[in-house]
Amino acid sequence: MHALGGTLSVLAGGAPAAAAPRSPHRVRVIDATLTCLARHGTTKTTVDDIARQAGLSRATVYRVFPGGRDEVLGAVVDTEMARLFSALGHRLGGAGHLTDALVGGIVEASTRLRDHAALHFLVEHEPEMVLGHLAFDESNRLLGTAARFTAPFLARWMAPDEAERVAEWAARIVLSYAVAPSTRTDLTDVGTATRLVETYLLPGIEALAVPTQATIDITPFGTAPGGPRRPHTRPRIDYPRGARP
Amino acid sequence: MDDTRQRIVEGAYACVARRGLAKTTLEDVAREAGCSRATVYRVFPGGREEVLGATVSWATSEFFARLHAHVQGAAGLEEMMERGIVFAHRAILEHDVLQRVMQTEPEKLLPTLTVESNRIREGIAAVLEPVLARRGLAPGVDRGEAADLLARMVLSYISAPGRWDLGDPAQVSRLVRSELLAGVVGPARGAGAGEHGAR
Repeated sequence: MHALGGTLSVLAGGAPAAAAPRSPHRVRVIDATLTCLARHGTTKTTVDDIARQAGLSRATVYRVFPGGRDEVLGAVVDTEMARLFSALGHRLGGAGHLTDALVGGIVEASTRLRDHAALHFLVEHEPEMVLGHLAFDESNRLLGTAARFTAPFLARWMAPDEAERVAEWAARIVLSYAVAPSTRTDLTDVGTATRLVETYLLPGIEALAVPTQATIDITPFGTAPGGPRRPHTRPRIDYPRGARP
Repeated sequence: MDDTRQRIVEGAYACVARRGLAKTTLEDVAREAGCSRATVYRVFPGGREEVLGATVSWATSEFFARLHAHVQGAAGLEEMMERGIVFAHRAILEHDVLQRVMQTEPEKLLPTLTVESNRIREGIAAVLEPVLARRGLAPGVDRGEAADLLARMVLSYISAPGRWDLGDPAQVSRLVRSELLAGVVGPARGAGAGEHGAR
């Protein structure tokens, strides 16, 4: 929490990273910090280390980030969240149908979390920095942020309320397997993710679409117990591409 | 767990309940358990850290045992999931010690709790597997994978319900029959129709 927490909490309450003052050195400092974090974590990374790694002077780092180390660390969290959401937006926006969107989003997020060296160093050596965001109320906020960002892309194929539920659900799945990887279910693998989506998510999405308090049941067929509907029929997901969010 | 070990762990839990993790010393634990520091060290050679780790582990196991007892006798998979989720979510909210430690010193608790949650996940999956075997699954569903996924999702929802109001039985019923079980046992058959349907 601490340095990382403040920024992430602010972020979790709203949209992904707001535009910050730009400097040509900004990204260089942030990427250098990520390299330092992957080697030494937050406690042993100094502004000197960051400057050396970035090939800049201490003074330049302080000019870009007057708040010093804590401000850099906050900017790193913002930037990494923005990069993740930007990649997700690209994947989800380019998807031609719902399965594509879900598989693409799950694989993209899982792969980025798996390959994030700085994140892994922190989980291993400074777990208190990361775990606070994955538990109880903070986890709710993180899921909420992920759902708010990704739901509009899914709303091309389902009602907005349903899209938020499905986005949150997918985020739960990604987080669970990222925090506690499974030998049998590797969500960075397209084949595995596709199987998971087709086996579990699509039928669940279909079930979510079934109204819970039916007023007048005008469903033409299939919702009655023992009705003719085959498992995994998905009438809602192959609609032509709608308006982009 | 032998008597001395049990007494020390329960003593430590009482100390944590009063003062939190950071302020609980080995002396406090020994006094509360009615034994000497030397005895505590004999049972827990790792000292304070080991005692506190064992205490979190014990409290987590207690929680899981209560959850397990609560779902016994459920009429089927759906009812078992519903009962378990409602009970576990409420038990977390009403768990004074957990809530207080999460408020004041989450950084001290979460690393241990995260390790414990892996054990709990395996425990939930082990309870679900035979129930899934009896119930019969949708084509292409691997029982082991489904049990693991369900356990993961149960842990996720009970600790962070997100958009779901787990105090509302209708919502819990909808959650169980959509995001949790629709893919595992086949297509939805309408809220409330699930429990007794032998498939």
